[in-house]
Amino acid sequence: MKEDKKKDRLCPHEEQYLEKVAKAREQWEEKLIAPRLKRFNLEKPNTSFYTPLDRAGSNFLENVGFPGLYPFTAGNSPLEFWKVHARLAAEMGFRPDWGGTRGVGKYGGFGTAGDYRDYLIRMHSMGRKGGPNIAFDLATQCGLDSDSEQALGEVGRVGVAIDCFQDFATIYEPYTGELEIDKVPSNFTINAPCCVIIAMYAVLAKKRGISPAALRGTPQNDILKEFIARGTYIYPPGPSLRLFRDSLVFLREKMPLLNVNSMGGYHIREAGATREQDLAFSMANAAAYLEAGVEAGLDVNDFAALFTFNAFGGSMEMYHEIAFQRAARRVYARMLKEQFGTTNPKAMIIRQPITAHIGCSSTTLQRPLNNWIRAAVGGIAAGMTGAIPGVFPPFDEPLGLGHSIEATQMQFDATRILLYETGITDVLDPWAGSYFMETLTDEIEAGALAEMDKINQMGGTVAAIESGYMQKAIAKSAYEKQKRIEARQDFVVGVNCFTSELELEVSINRDVEPTYDPALMATAEERQVESLKKMKASRDNKAVASLLNTLKAHAKDKDKNLMPDICDCVENHCTLQEICDVMREVFGEFKQAKL
Amino acid sequence: MTDNAKIRVLIAKPGLDGHERGARVIAYGLRDAGFEVIYTGLRQTPAQIASAAVQEDVDVIGLSILSGAHLALTKQLKEQLAARKGEDILLIVGGIIPENDIDTLKQMGVAGVFTAGTPVSQVADFIRQNLQKAA
Amino acid sequence: MKVNDWDKLVSGVKAGDVRSLSRMITRVENRADGWKKAMQQLYSGTGRAKVVGITGSPGAGKSTLVNALASELSKRGKTVGIIAVDPSSPFSGGALLGDRLRMAEVAVNPDIFIRSMATRGALGGLCQGARDVARILDAFGKDIVLIETVGVGQDEIEVVKTADCVLVVCVPGQGDGIQALKAGIMEIADIYVVNKADRPGADEVVADIEGMLSIADQGKLDTAPVVKTSAATGEGVESLCNTLFERLVHARNKEQWLDKRVREEILSLVETQIMESLLCAWQESGALNKMVEAVLNKKADPYSLVDALLPDLSKEALNRQTAKATKTIIGPENS
Repeated sequence: MKEDKKKDRLCPHEEQYLEKVAKAREQWEEKLIAPRLKRFNLEKPNTSFYTPLDRAGSNFLENVGFPGLYPFTAGNSPLEFWKVHARLAAEMGFRPDWGGTRGVGKYGGFGTAGDYRDYLIRMHSMGRKGGPNIAFDLATQCGLDSDSEQALGEVGRVGVAIDCFQDFATIYEPYTGELEIDKVPSNFTINAPCCVIIAMYAVLAKKRGISPAALRGTPQNDILKEFIARGTYIYPPGPSLRLFRDSLVFLREKMPLLNVNSMGGYHIREAGATREQDLAFSMANAAAYLEAGVEAGLDVNDFAALFTFNAFGGSMEMYHEIAFQRAARRVYARMLKEQFGTTNPKAMIIRQPITAHIGCSSTTLQRPLNNWIRAAVGGIAAGMTGAIPGVFPPFDEPLGLGHSIEATQMQFDATRILLYETGITDVLDPWAGSYFMETLTDEIEAGALAEMDKINQMGGTVAAIESGYMQKAIAKSAYEKQKRIEARQDFVVGVNCFTSELELEVSINRDVEPTYDPALMATAEERQVESLKKMKASRDNKAVASLLNTLKAHAKDKDKNLMPDICDCVENHCTLQEICDVMREVFGEFKQAKL
Repeated sequence: MTDNAKIRVLIAKPGLDGHERGARVIAYGLRDAGFEVIYTGLRQTPAQIASAAVQEDVDVIGLSILSGAHLALTKQLKEQLAARKGEDILLIVGGIIPENDIDTLKQMGVAGVFTAGTPVSQVADFIRQNLQKAA
Repeated sequence: MKVNDWDKLVSGVKAGDVRSLSRMITRVENRADGWKKAMQQLYSGTGRAKVVGITGSPGAGKSTLVNALASELSKRGKTVGIIAVDPSSPFSGGALLGDRLRMAEVAVNPDIFIRSMATRGALGGLCQGARDVARILDAFGKDIVLIETVGVGQDEIEVVKTADCVLVVCVPGQGDGIQALKAGIMEIADIYVVNKADRPGADEVVADIEGMLSIADQGKLDTAPVVKTSAATGEGVESLCNTLFERLVHARNKEQWLDKRVREEILSLVETQIMESLLCAWQESGALNKMVEAVLNKKADPYSLVDALLPDLSKEALNRQTAKATKTIIGPENS
């Protein structure tokens, strides 16, 4: 059927031309390929070449279009902010990781709120004045207080511990004056307890006499991918989506400048998904969030424009990652327009700070300096997809937790070299119209759409998570990949090839910027538990109990928006876990499916 | 061991870290190496892991930790195992483990530490060899 | 394994030591030398526990149901042993045993012991292996032993058939409802459980089962009851527990059935033993290889080999042997 459609579109002139190309291709295969296959004793070549034949009948305007125009295959915008100001950034020596009053600072967090606050003060004194870009510890991400038995050993470790409003407010102590919270944005990588953190942010504004409507920032409110990839979930997917809806409605009403979500395909890929699974699962998740908003009576033209993505992709296959970005933009735009009836172009684009990249899982512990060139390949791919050619991650990513000063500098410099010395970003979608790239884009799109169909037939993302389908699918993909490496079907330099003793281990200094004092870290858990105990003793526990009761009663009514109750709880010093526990009682807890 | 004996392995993720890729790949890989693999999923407390290890009479426990909490969690597991007469069970740890911590883990009684990217076949061989030594 | 090791394990099990229990299960499952002797030593202390088989199609929520049921039984003061059976890989012989993952709540309950078991496909089959494990748990002092298997293979079905009571778990939304279950599994149920009953279509599944039963069991008095549960939330589990206790008293503990069960076990053990002994001897001596070669070279046919190679299986010989054995074990008749 597709073939017929193609032929319909061809004009006689084109048809004649294609016949000529086809003949030429036949001759090429016969005269050049065939003898070589014979000589090398191959069944078929392990290279390919694309011609106009592969694109016969394709419609440029329909499938590619102009950058900034539907279906956004060629890019989100004809002129990005960073591109316009690239010269200025170089002249000023702008450090994106330091942030400015316009953006957030480096992603981080550790120890108690006080420890992290002191760190931020130190950063400010060094001129690094970006808004808080908060990493929460795993206990907080799982809706547990620091005194929970399950939190043992985790408090303040991979992020800062937040048990109550007091902790949250402590982090913001240095954010006054020119850094007041209506001036700098914040990022929260929080997911499952997102409602509680948003409530803390709103209450903080209220206490400072600032309208929550003036607050900016981005919460990672992407609970669905937690079930698939990252594992910091609390409730089953159904009630989790209800809480997402509550936060969405609340944000649109009270905090309209805040982004609603930062969705990730990146985590899903890192967990082992294939490209097609990554795209399909993220899109299925996005569809679930969009439906939640539509069902709540919100206008998709409005709220979808506040959805962001944190990054998509992650592999060394540069061509495929470029095609992947193009396919993702098209799939998302079409879904928004065709399925959700969006008319606002801003609501149809995948807003993400990073596009193509190699993903941390492409880095190797063996001969780690090699990761620098790996990451640079990702930067090249990113540069060719309309983004800053971001080289990511630093080469020492797989060595442990914490990037060295050298690795960070080399990462930034690699990005700068690509941006300023190569001209890679001077052309928008340089691959547009390439017989090969357009074909590859179509293939990835088709694969993802087929997978999305499968999920729809299962009843959508919630059903596919409950049955364990998505989790199992990516676990199998991860295992297949590992088997290919072990069987040396896929080569990884320094890992399964070129590993003889003749090869050198290139070593380099690994000075890590002191972010925290190890002695401070060692006592963080103890101090945090102590301060929580004090807080609990000093608050009005009667009010706490009564507010939690109200929250519980309202949680049972799924039409009720829980955000006002959560705000009340937060303001009156209910702890994060107390709030989550009440909802656990009503919603139950998610249990993993069997592998 | 008799002909019917199988090497039994418990793959466990202690703590709150939810990155499961490594644990799942190892679970599949050891199954395909002929082991009986018990996988207990995310967020296991050291008490749960020790209890499962003893009830299942596993020969090996493989911990997968990527959150940096490996020292605290391993120490607790060792205590829990001792309380259940399971201190003889071979213990291996995988995940993101900084080089400096490897020796500390070994002093705690961890037989092997496997960082990211270790081939599953290498882990399987390590287990077979170490169990033979013990037998 | 040394003989006194077995003695230590047996006395450990009898004394309620968990480490001995789990080790003895491993040894018996592995059929380590001396396993039968050890089982003999335990046997007199068994027969008290009730064994409940739980089966159903994949995705029916069996493990979650077992978790909920064990928790409820524990609340009622019962100690519980759980045997969770998963298939072995036919290629590697390994297995991925994941049922425990769904039983986290009861995993540290000191009254509950969970053991994952692979089907292995070894001689003697899963059936006897699981029966042995259940018996060890019985001797250890567990009141109830729950055996969970996927109701897909004949082996797995055989396992639950030996139980005192069999729960067949169905769920709404699995294609054609009860049609999804393999033939041969529905008729072994003592109780039907419609799990995930909060989902749409649960009542249809109940109606389907009742419809099927009304045709099959016309005139019978003890038609198997159908119970709705939602194991994830615990709803219906209490009532399932009540039904279970009723059926444990009434359903299968008829003399005729007990007789049949013992008969089957004896025959199965004998069958396994014969095969094992023959195989062991023939493999060691190389006789089996020679036989195969002879057949391949057309020097012999498999049929004549059977009679030629087996030990004396004539009725007279067998009767002589069994008369001698029964006399030693049971004592002279009419005394």
